[in-house]
Parts: sequence; C-alpha cells; structure tokens
Amino acid sequence: MNLYDPDRDPVRRAGRWLRWGTRWVALPVVLGVFVSGNLDARSLPVFGPERESAVLFLDGQAYFGHLDDSGDSGTLVLRDVYYFANATGSLTGLPVGLVKRGTEAHEPADGMRINRDRVLAIEQVGPAAPVMQAIEAERQIVHSSPAVISLNRTTIGAVSTLTAQRVAAEHDVQRGYTAAVDQLAKLNALVLPVSKAEAAAITDRAVGDLRTVRRNALAALGTTLGFSATDAQTYAGATEAVLANQTFANEPGVLLAPDLNGIVNRATELYGQVGDTYAKQLTQPKTASPSPTPSPSARP
Amino acid sequence: MTWIVQRYRRAILWIRAHGVVLRNSGLAIVVFLAAFFFTQWWDFTVPSLGRAPYQAVFLANGQTYFGRYYERIGAYAKIEDVYYLQQSQGSDATQAPDTRLLRRGKELHAPAARMLVPKSAILFVEDLSDSSPIAQFMAQDHR
Repeated sequence: MNLYDPDRDPVRRAGRWLRWGTRWVALPVVLGVFVSGNLDARSLPVFGPERESAVLFLDGQAYFGHLDDSGDSGTLVLRDVYYFANATGSLTGLPVGLVKRGTEAHEPADGMRINRDRVLAIEQVGPAAPVMQAIEAERQIVHSSPAVISLNRTTIGAVSTLTAQRVAAEHDVQRGYTAAVDQLAKLNALVLPVSKAEAAAITDRAVGDLRTVRRNALAALGTTLGFSATDAQTYAGATEAVLANQTFANEPGVLLAPDLNGIVNRATELYGQVGDTYAKQLTQPKTASPSPTPSPSARP
Repeated sequence: MTWIVQRYRRAILWIRAHGVVLRNSGLAIVVFLAAFFFTQWWDFTVPSLGRAPYQAVFLANGQTYFGRYYERIGAYAKIEDVYYLQQSQGSDATQAPDTRLLRRGKELHAPAARMLVPKSAILFVEDLSDSSPIAQFMAQDHR
C-alpha cells in the first residue's frame, strides 16, 4: 500500500502556492507598479484632463508640451511644443512671449528629443496657468481638434479664454499707440530745430501713421480670429473707437497666444519705426540741399 | 419569460463552474489597484531617516532650490514645496540687491508643488538646520 499522498506533499503544495501567487498576486503587483510609474492618477490617459509638462533646461530655457519620459535611453520626447522667447520691451509688459515650435526657419516637425543631461527640472503646468490659457487659445485660433482617443487629450480653449486673449491683445496695441503718441508729445515740448508749424505738421503725419499701424494691427487680429477681410476692417474700426483715449497703463500683462503675440510684436516694431522716423524729422535741422549739377570748370 | 429564467440558470451554472477563476480574477484586480495607488503615494521615493524637514538643493546651473527633497529610484529626484531666492536691484545701484524667498507656483506656468530634477543636474544637497531663517520661513508659510 502506497502511503504517499501528493496533495499533502509540502514541496508540491509550496509549488502550487507559488504558481498561484505568481499568477494572481505577483503579476498584478508588478503590473500595478509599472502602470502607476508611467501614469499620474490626477490626469489619467484617455479620459483624464490634459497633462502639460514644463521642461526647464540648464541654460535657462523653458519648453512646454506633452512629455514622454517612458524610455530608458536618456532621451525625453516632447510633443506639441511651445517655448518662451525674450520679449523685453514688448507691449505685453511681460519679459517673455510664447512661441509655438515649428515656425522657425528650419521648420522642425513635431517631437523634440531632449537629452536628459541638459534638463534642470520637470514640472507640471497648472491648468489655470497663463501658459496653459495661451496654449488653449492658440489651439482654438488654429482650429485644432483633439483626437477622439488619445493618451493625453488636448484641451481647446473656451470662448471666454479667446475673448480674454483678444481683449488683452487689443489693449497691448492701444498701449503701444499711446506710448508712441506720448513720446511725440514729449519731443514737441523740447526746443526743436524746426518751426512750431513744421513740428505740428510732422506730428500730425506721425499720429496718422501710428493710427494706421493700430488699425492694421486690429484688422490682423480680426483676421487671425477668423473674420473675413471686410468684417476684420469693421471690427478694427469699431474697436479703435472703443479704445480711443484709453491708456491701460497700469493693466497687468497677459501672456498671449503665439499668433496674437506675433501681431502685437509686429505692431511694437512698426510703432518704433514710425516714432523713430518722425523723431528724426523733428530733431534734425534742415540743411541746404547740394547743387544738383556741378559748375563746369574751365578747360585749360 | 421562460428564456429569461433559462438564461439566469445558465449564468448561475457558469458562475459556479468558474467560481475559482472569478475569485482569483477579483483578487488580482484588487491587488493591481492596491499596487497602483500605493505606487502613486510612494512615488518611488527612498526613505531617509533622521533628516531635517527641509533641504537646499544646489543645481548644476548655479541655482538653488529649497524644499522637501526626496531621493527616488530612477533618473530623477523630487523636490516638493519648492522655494527659491530672487534678487532684485533697487533704484540705488550702490546698495546691495534686495533678496526675497519666493514660493514656486506663481510663475507664468503655475507649476504644481512637485518638481522632478534629473540627478545629473544636482551638485549637492544640504539639510537646513532648525535655526535656518529659510527653514523657519518655509515652516511658517506652510501653516
């Protein structure tokens, strides 16, 4: 009679428990840790809110986008990238402006591979952050549509977000106009080498040109926001009337969507050019123009 | 009506036949969720006993961040509730610049309290003593 009972064999029982434990406990634990390590419970993929990351570089640059840091290759991949460009002296009143990556001379494709050794820090961008608002507004301007199924769904700005951005851009354009007109007024208060009448005529021409710059900037804003050319001109005229005589001097700066920021930057540049041109006319004394034809010399 | 009863009976029989697999699958789901949420809480940080509540993290680009520093498994370390020093020169250039301790979070990208720093970007980390004015300010600011 064989007394050996395989069901009671401690080695076989341990083996059975080990197989069971591996399949139903250890494997789920490993999976749970792996999945959790690559996910943030506050912004789960597919149905969670957008996860926008800020990658700060050792040299001080900051890039924003959808970060993929799942590989072990020492390279991070950032998609749908935006970055800060120096905007000192800009009408927004902020030291930086937001730029969308891809508009550079070499027109890089989406997907920036970053060497981790050059990264200083990685942070999560707040959902109500000015950077996020500007990015969401830009997506609305370019009519970006989120993918139906995406591991990190993009958020498109609400109408109120775009309205806030439009109003801020309008105020920036007006602030630039006011500053340029003030500069001309200050020049007129100085002792100028031209007569009062000439100074007044030059100033009138300058103010007219500055108005044209303002109107064109507002029309460009309208076109960017999706108005037809005629509607954009109507919008520019109506907005000009609303903005007239307002300074917005103490208004806090708003970080603009890249497309709106581009218009404001162009207006800044043109205001400067118009101001410089007429300032030169006001401050340079008129010199006698040289004789167009030299007097003939007597032949020997 | 009969087909509903038949389907119900068939379902009960199927559950009885596969009871063990169902129980084990339920257990596996619970274990998976427990591991998932534990890892979210744990965040791969390495426990460090007897350290000060706040640290100063000196980085390769010369910046210094203050906060709760955590060593982590992997390529990144973590700093929570980050503060940094900001110097601003007043109108009088002959005077020393005004230095302020600022809490990170009010920048244009309004970052969350958790900052990941590649270990390769860290020069060294120091504990802040209890008498440190920076540690005292941070502790007071958290109340």
